[in-house]
Amino acid sequence: MRITILNGEPHAASPFQAYLERLTKRLVVQGHAVTKLDLAALDLKGCTGCFNCWVRTPGECAKRDDSATVCRAALGADLLLLASPMTMGFTTALLKRGADQMIQLIHPYFVVEGGEFHHRARYAHYPVFALLLDPGPDSDAEDVEITRTMWGRMARNMKSRLAWTAVAERTAEEVADELARVA
Amino acid sequence: MNSLVLLNGSPRGERSNSMKMLTRVAEGWVRGGGAQPEVLHLVRRAQFQRAVEAFAGTDVVLLGMPLYTDAMPALVKAYIEALAPRVEAARSGGANPTLAFLVQSGFPEAAHSRPLERYLKKLALRMGSHYAGTIVRGGGEALQAMPEEANRKLWARLQVLGEQLARDGRFGAAELKAVAGRERFSRFGVWVASLACRIPIIQFYWNGMLKKNGAWERRFAAPYGPAFEG
Repeated sequence: MRITILNGEPHAASPFQAYLERLTKRLVVQGHAVTKLDLAALDLKGCTGCFNCWVRTPGECAKRDDSATVCRAALGADLLLLASPMTMGFTTALLKRGADQMIQLIHPYFVVEGGEFHHRARYAHYPVFALLLDPGPDSDAEDVEITRTMWGRMARNMKSRLAWTAVAERTAEEVADELARVA
Repeated sequence: MNSLVLLNGSPRGERSNSMKMLTRVAEGWVRGGGAQPEVLHLVRRAQFQRAVEAFAGTDVVLLGMPLYTDAMPALVKAYIEALAPRVEAARSGGANPTLAFLVQSGFPEAAHSRPLERYLKKLALRMGSHYAGTIVRGGGEALQAMPEEANRKLWARLQVLGEQLARDGRFGAAELKAVAGRERFSRFGVWVASLACRIPIIQFYWNGMLKKNGAWERRFAAPYGPAFEG
């Protein structure tokens, strides 16, 4: 299975970075093709709501930054793992910056799906979404639930579903094994 | 309560739909007896920093934003992260301002913004702030395309909400509901909307811009993988 990990941890040396390293190694040992993108190391200019990726350069952000790398890796995966510590009750601004620029993967046209307005698909296939959170001392179960709900809706708008959410409280190896089963 | 810091969290800055709406709330705030608000655009670096500093020194903060991929824009989350020291300050007995929010999205239904509203309510609790409520409004992108006259009723309602904030320290539930408009489509509405989405006129806003930019022929471009053929 092809797995892309979007790492939203902004700090280079943190326990969560080490955790993700162990998780990645385990998935590779299991035979999965893993692409781990450390968003902190990429040039992501952020979405400015210009909609050029919809109406001027369809399917591509006009900023020509590393969002193309993120989008290509996300779309090329069977499973997209969003990994982030929680700060102030939600995933990091860094992960959100990467996600905001993913609107280039969908089409501006409206469609009605599941009784709601959404955007039309641009691609034939999208990855299944998964979410790995490090709640830290500042977040509680309600924060995790709110975060899961928001990313679940984002997955839905990306023509997919959030299939799995976990908090980094068990060992990285246990979490990797469970993730592989879900996918 | 008298002082208000009005924060525009739209990455589009001054010309955003969020700012159009926030301006009307601010007008109501002044009409309700509040002092002229300090207006800051988070997308401007210096103003972002000022917004962090101003947080502790005002009675009320009104933070407005567009819905980006079903949550707050990264810019707004970065601002919220910059407020982390204020959580500690509140725990140590310091006071944080009343928090009011505005969330607008391009989708016609308000339901898309409700999970973010829930987050913002919890944020106020986290900050030890009084929660004044969240204005939720769908169809925000259409504000750009509409003549000013067509938005008159919405502007009036937003002004009333601003007055309520100045006078009562919170938004009124009935006015919040009126501004939110359609929460979800009825079954019949879904059927009608599904049909409408199949005719080109419903996509006129996007088609107009695609044609204007000479991108019409490439509108279904799929540079990263096989295109959807539906």
